[in-house]
Amino acid sequence: MCEQEIAVKIKELLCSRLGIDEEVLTDDIPLFSDGIELDSIDSLEIIAAIDEEFGVSMTGVGKESFYNVKSLTAYVAEHLEK
Amino acid sequence: MTKNENRCVITGLGMITAIGNNVAECWKNAKQGVRGIAVTSTVETKNCYANLAAEVTDETLDDVDDAMSMDRCAKLCVKATGEALRDAGLDSFGDSTQAAVIMGSCVGGVASVEHYYTHNKPAEDVPKIPISAIANQVAKTYHIGGVVTNIANACAAGTISIAYACDLIRAGKADVVIAGGTDAFSSIPFAGFLSLHALDENPCSPFNRCSGITLGEGAGAVIIESYAHAMQRKARVYCEVLGAGVSSDAFHITAPRPDGKGQMHAIRRCLVNSGVTPAEVGYINAHGTGTAKNDEAEFLSLHTIFDSENNDLSVSSTKAMVGHCLGAAGAVEAVFAVKALTENIVPPTVGYNEEDMPRLQERAGKIDFCPNQAKGKQLTTVMSNSFAFGGNNASVLFSKQSGNVELPAQRDRIFITGLGVVSPLGNDIDCYTRKVQSRAILTEFSVESHVDRADYDACGLKMAFYRKLDRFSQLQAVSGKKALIDANYIVTEENATDIGIVVGTADGPISTICNYQMDLLEKGMAAGSAFKFPNTVYNAAGGYLSICSGIQGYNVTLTNGIQSGLASIAYGINILRSGQEKAVLATGTDENDAIVTELYEKLGCFAVDNTFRLSDGSTTLLLETESSMRTRDTAPYAELLGYGMVNQSTTLEHFTDSESALERAVMLALHDANISSCDVDGIVGFADGLNVTCQVEQSAMAQIFSQKLPCFHIHPMTGEGRAATAALSAVHGALLLSGKLGEKVYSENCGVITADGLQMLLVISQSFNGAYTAIILKSVK
Repeated sequence: MCEQEIAVKIKELLCSRLGIDEEVLTDDIPLFSDGIELDSIDSLEIIAAIDEEFGVSMTGVGKESFYNVKSLTAYVAEHLEK
Repeated sequence: MTKNENRCVITGLGMITAIGNNVAECWKNAKQGVRGIAVTSTVETKNCYANLAAEVTDETLDDVDDAMSMDRCAKLCVKATGEALRDAGLDSFGDSTQAAVIMGSCVGGVASVEHYYTHNKPAEDVPKIPISAIANQVAKTYHIGGVVTNIANACAAGTISIAYACDLIRAGKADVVIAGGTDAFSSIPFAGFLSLHALDENPCSPFNRCSGITLGEGAGAVIIESYAHAMQRKARVYCEVLGAGVSSDAFHITAPRPDGKGQMHAIRRCLVNSGVTPAEVGYINAHGTGTAKNDEAEFLSLHTIFDSENNDLSVSSTKAMVGHCLGAAGAVEAVFAVKALTENIVPPTVGYNEEDMPRLQERAGKIDFCPNQAKGKQLTTVMSNSFAFGGNNASVLFSKQSGNVELPAQRDRIFITGLGVVSPLGNDIDCYTRKVQSRAILTEFSVESHVDRADYDACGLKMAFYRKLDRFSQLQAVSGKKALIDANYIVTEENATDIGIVVGTADGPISTICNYQMDLLEKGMAAGSAFKFPNTVYNAAGGYLSICSGIQGYNVTLTNGIQSGLASIAYGINILRSGQEKAVLATGTDENDAIVTELYEKLGCFAVDNTFRLSDGSTTLLLETESSMRTRDTAPYAELLGYGMVNQSTTLEHFTDSESALERAVMLALHDANISSCDVDGIVGFADGLNVTCQVEQSAMAQIFSQKLPCFHIHPMTGEGRAATAALSAVHGALLLSGKLGEKVYSENCGVITADGLQMLLVISQSFNGAYTAIILKSVK
């Protein structure tokens, strides 16, 4: 799975599981604070979704990897079993 | 000193928890610090990081009357209420309208939801599922004929039940109330709290390790009587119930405000409503869940309120022994608080090791958290606190003295000043009015209301907020905000605690609950969604409404069938008359989709000889006191004169047996409004296409009114949206009286009539369980 495919899948997950409007979810928009304004419950859902979809555990991973779709994609791509 | 007519006393106690099947066992074990926590024997915990629970072990639960038709939570409740009644020397109430049942619950019959989906969807499970079933089972068992409802405010439900019970007594609406709460340990709350990482791997350790909760189960019940009623029958009195305080955080759907503001507001309100100073409180049964966020906020609240004024305060969390019993917690803890008070013994907070003590000393300051050991202490006044999902906070005081509970010397008049509608006929009043005028009759047997981006934009709701809401909460948020906008009522930091919310619902977020259960069955207990779980509680919608509107006053969600949408107005009247708020958003909300339609099909609502149409929506009315309304210089739609609520437990099959209860509800409403049947000019009815509801309505109205009155029915146009339609009937009445529906209006039995001739309207609603609410509206033209 290439990074672009991972990013598309992650966006799908965020929209379907966290109710985010598709049109606002760019690769770069910050997911927390002033961007989409996700909170701690959402981060638990992201961890569960990424584990379910990619088999990649993000439990305990630093918040920089959750910054935006791009950083999530990079983390998943790096840890996805080849 | 509290006047005798405002005194409420506790005369009976009942409870069942993991540490005992009755009060004596529970109290004996609590004094000894016995923990009822063990590996769960009922819920599958494969792949789960936690597996503990505080479960009830009572082999006789199935011996309660009619056990086959009850969920486990109702059996626990009937068991505890039976003990409380025996303790009080009471038995059956002969359908007295002055006897009431108010029961709290968080998750209701979710064990029956699981059974439904794992046993080929038996129809017998369906009536056991809603929280509504609980109080009705108690009412049926003990022939209660007055106000019967359930408080569905999650972990604060048990405490708010006691608060409402006392409000009813002080308002003269009841002489004796069975109040309490119940919840059974089950998959959804376990998986949900697990998904939030809120469960402790070890037995919970409140005010100590603070690494999560341990779920419990059980029920608590108290018999509360007016002082006069208790004296007349020479009842043994445990203590007085003084005032209560209920508030809303308007902050987050699961987390408490870190600054403790909402909690402190509830505690302070409770003290003020009781006429008691912080120095007079000897013991507090704390909420003390064992999560870091709760315990930190609670430490802060208690220190802030009590440190400077109380040098001898004891606090403990009994959850360390019985677990977090959710909707039963407040009731179970009230019983512990009353036992502590009457026996002068403070139960311990268990779970401390020796190495924990220096940290406790640092965090506790001069408050005694009673680590591990119960202690003897002369107590006069004790408090019980409960804080819940949705940001709901509740506090109540019990005392050996009568306190200084005061009610307003004069009742302020109450007006309807704002309307918000989400219905199959559209989402604003103008649209509703146009559709009603065109008499567009529904033809589909199941329809849904629709909210979208345009509604959110009109209400100022941002994506960051509304994305979190399930459909049930979305319906509520839109109608609630629209009512505020319609009334031009601007919530500010200054008036945020002057306004409250009363949500009425028949089925709550039932679709979300069923979907959550199906997900668990498919993916396993460890795969519960943290995002969806908060929306499975009935009071999420009221919580979200407080968050998006900034409302920080009273916040309650009640549920007892369709009539919950009118019962919310009645509850709102109580809050306003007792001076607890200046304004209240009273709502009715229910959702429909394929899941809900399937459940109503199982109940037999779509039988061929009926013209029943299932729908949904949300209706909100802003109720305001006259003084608040005058300050804002706003024009009301109508005046609310009074209400009546009566119960006669039945089933849909035998619904016609409850006809006399409707008659009594109307008579009580007329009495409350201080008018006679001759003063009523029209009726907004509840007939919803079921033959039985039509029969009951027609027959009862013919008994009460000698004159032929125009009857208005909105169900042919809106469908049976349950609580939403019940509240919409009141909106319809207000629109008729204000002339907004036009000069000429259509009534089923009288054809086109002149709206000007309508001065007083009766609005009625029913539940399939046999509960009725009637309200009287008056024109202000």
